[in-house]
Amino acid sequence: MNTDPSVIAKKISYKINDNKLFHDLSFCLNKGKALHICGDNGSGKSTLIRIILGITKQTKGELEISSTKGISYLGHKNAIKNYLSVEDNILLMQLHNHKDLNRYIEILNLKKYLDVLVANLSFGQQKKLALLRIFLNNSDIIILDEPFVGLDNETQKTLSNFLNEQLENNKILIFTSHISCEINSEALNIS
Amino acid sequence: MNLIKLEFLKLKNKTRTWLGPILVFWLIMIAYPLTVEFLKDKLEIGFYSVLWIAILISMMLATEDIFLEDFNDGALEQIMLQTSSYSLLVSLKVFTYWIFIGFPVSVLSFLMSFGTSENLTASLMVFPLSIISSYIFLNLFVMGNALSLNKGSVLGAIVSMPLALPVLIVLGKSMTAIQLGINYPGFIFLLLGCLSIIIVTVPIVVSFIVKAHLE
Amino acid sequence: MIKKFIHQFASPKTYLFQVNKFYNYIFYTSLLIYVFSIIWGLLFTPEDFVQGNSFRIIYLHVPASFISQSLYAAMAICSFVYIVWRVKLSAYMIISIAPIGAMTTFIALVSGSIWGIPTWGTWWQWDARITSTLILFIMYLGLISFHNSFSNLEKADKLLSWLVIVGAVNIPIIKKSVDWWSTLHQSASITLTNEPSIDASMLYPLIGSILGFFGLIICLVLLSSKNQIFFREKTKSWIKDYV
Repeated sequence: MNTDPSVIAKKISYKINDNKLFHDLSFCLNKGKALHICGDNGSGKSTLIRIILGITKQTKGELEISSTKGISYLGHKNAIKNYLSVEDNILLMQLHNHKDLNRYIEILNLKKYLDVLVANLSFGQQKKLALLRIFLNNSDIIILDEPFVGLDNETQKTLSNFLNEQLENNKILIFTSHISCEINSEALNIS
Repeated sequence: MNLIKLEFLKLKNKTRTWLGPILVFWLIMIAYPLTVEFLKDKLEIGFYSVLWIAILISMMLATEDIFLEDFNDGALEQIMLQTSSYSLLVSLKVFTYWIFIGFPVSVLSFLMSFGTSENLTASLMVFPLSIISSYIFLNLFVMGNALSLNKGSVLGAIVSMPLALPVLIVLGKSMTAIQLGINYPGFIFLLLGCLSIIIVTVPIVVSFIVKAHLE
Repeated sequence: MIKKFIHQFASPKTYLFQVNKFYNYIFYTSLLIYVFSIIWGLLFTPEDFVQGNSFRIIYLHVPASFISQSLYAAMAICSFVYIVWRVKLSAYMIISIAPIGAMTTFIALVSGSIWGIPTWGTWWQWDARITSTLILFIMYLGLISFHNSFSNLEKADKLLSWLVIVGAVNIPIIKKSVDWWSTLHQSASITLTNEPSIDASMLYPLIGSILGFFGLIICLVLLSSKNQIFFREKTKSWIKDYV
């Protein structure tokens, strides 16, 4: 059986209330490839990502995804519960037993906030917490919607290094970003 | 097992969500005697009707934002990527809510019933009725609130309230049965039958509905 | 196979042309039948022994209450078709039937109330069938307000059809349980299985009025669904050609 991940889209279109958002998009991603989805605001970048995730259904076209270790995803909504502490949130993400957890908590500077309620953290710190999902879930497809927004320079660098490393390990990366980053990727312009 | 522990963790920290409905139930039950002239026999006439409606209302409030938070913060999407069985998650969630809200309300209604009627046997018979009916109501309102997920809970109540009416009728009938001392187990079995159907179908329907909302 | 068949014949375009072709026939035939049976029923049927002339409201009341339930059943069928085969037309049908269903239910309730004053001496009773009709009315209103609360119409269609199906399962249950709870209403006079418990001189105009009213309501549904198609497909090129 073929264990390499792949994402193949054939002529995907999406309409909402009969307004065309995008039309006949095709791309093919194999192991170690990254796709940078570009476009203006409202051009349907997030919708395309939701289609790839299988949450929204495309109006036309086919999408084939093969992956053995699943998909990790981080979007605008980060699925962090702000009435729980950082530690409980890690528990909720089911990452508390992960062997690399402590290393990444150190790197992301979250160590001293473990007992703090997420509601008292800044936006950037919350985003860092959410990024643990990306760093620790060993999925073979990584999908990110504007991952660099709100992060400090150091964390941005950590994230892009991590992503490049993952690409070398034959993973697939799909992302949107308005902030320029050093990731070797193909560009797909949808507007 | 892990999933249910996580649901417990979440709900435990949302004190307002589980304590609010219990307090509302309590307040209704306290407010009721105040509206009746202070004569005991008059109090008992409408007591159980108010009790069932108070359970109904508190379950309605309990489910108010059962999916809203997970919907707004993106947790539903993450769950969709991780677990294959969405309906299992829904039923665990309903169960958690029942443990935190439905069960205390049932205990309270037993105490209220005993305090009002001073009849232990009848109150012991009311207890299972309130346990089963609170679980049924919870499931029904979960469905209504899933339908009107981010449209406010009033709409959810409107669309799911008619579903609860047959249960209210059965509850009314079973009170007569208790008073006359006939066929009480029959009503319990009827309610259990309803519950067993609802407990299976509601999570399945709700999982479809929630997925449709995410689209 | 079935899917292909449905999709071919249930495209809004084909539907619209078929409706235009048959609309006039249906409208005039049913109008004729209804007017004829009303005249028969009002002028040529003898007075009821007990109820006097007041019973004559059945020529409005019975068709309206009968159709208010049939329309819900029609919505349920459309919802099923939409959920299983994703036929757009059936989604348009659901939401175009709903207001008309609410209207007929309202007619049934009001005409029933008017009838109730001379016969029962009260305009409202918490009787089984009145209550379940009232619940049906509330459900119709709930469905309409539910659909209107969405901006993404396709999502609204999908969720509405789930709601309609849940309601369709529940309506018979509500009806049975309310029946069980209390009943004052006369049981149905016409059923398919039993001999009708109503005199022939009243029965024939009644059947005629049901058929005629049914046809008129179908015409209303057709008009409302045309309206819905124009609204939902307004960006399509064939609509522009059509207009």
